[in-house]
Amino acid sequence: MKIKIELFGDARNFSDQDYLEITLPELSSIKEVRENLMDLVKNKYPDNKNYLEIVKCSAFANEHNEIVQEHYHLSTHTKLSIIPPVGGG
Amino acid sequence: MFYGKVIESSKGSLSLDKAQQFIASEKCGASLFFIGTVRNHNNNKNVTGITYDSHDAMVEKSFKEIFEEASKKLTIEHPAVYIEHAKGYIPLGGLSIIIAVAAKHRSQAYDLSRYIIEEIKKKTPIWKKEHYDDNQSKWLKGTPLIDPSS
Repeated sequence: MKIKIELFGDARNFSDQDYLEITLPELSSIKEVRENLMDLVKNKYPDNKNYLEIVKCSAFANEHNEIVQEHYHLSTHTKLSIIPPVGGG
Repeated sequence: MFYGKVIESSKGSLSLDKAQQFIASEKCGASLFFIGTVRNHNNNKNVTGITYDSHDAMVEKSFKEIFEEASKKLTIEHPAVYIEHAKGYIPLGGLSIIIAVAAKHRSQAYDLSRYIIEEIKKKTPIWKKEHYDDNQSKWLKGTPLIDPSS
């Protein structure tokens, strides 16, 4: 299944667009999303350890604007946002 | 009474007048305005501006949750809160956030204002990209919303 991930903050550097689309097996969870993104970053930016750290430290939110945990299961309709460490004000 | 909004800098600007009008109440003896602005230095670098990014829907939800938490945890009589945060590029000296609060007494207004800004810093999905006088820019490190070790 294809999962769309909206990008924010430093994670915007992961794509020229505002989002990423990744393909995962059915019944995948946030754990697999994180692993997939870590592989993507390692391949695309092998010298940038900061990007890898961002993926490790980021939360993910679903289409209802709720932070979801590592075991949260995804469906074909799931739209995620990656939420890197925050710091407004 | 609560109002919280993200303001895209290309479409509008933060409004102290609106904030003042919103929190005005004859029941409140104290009004307080916290204003965040873009300063000219950080980490020994000369800052020329900041680009703010935000997950707008989550930010506005977070503002409301912080107000509700504050209302439960603190003893505030007749609280009124108005929060606006900028999104997009804000030049040096520009306003990044307004937190206007009103309460019955001054100690309540101070507590409420401080609580809100500290919680926004820790919880609200907003990010800052600093721009420097050498034409470089950098996203600032923030606070994770998860424990990466778990």
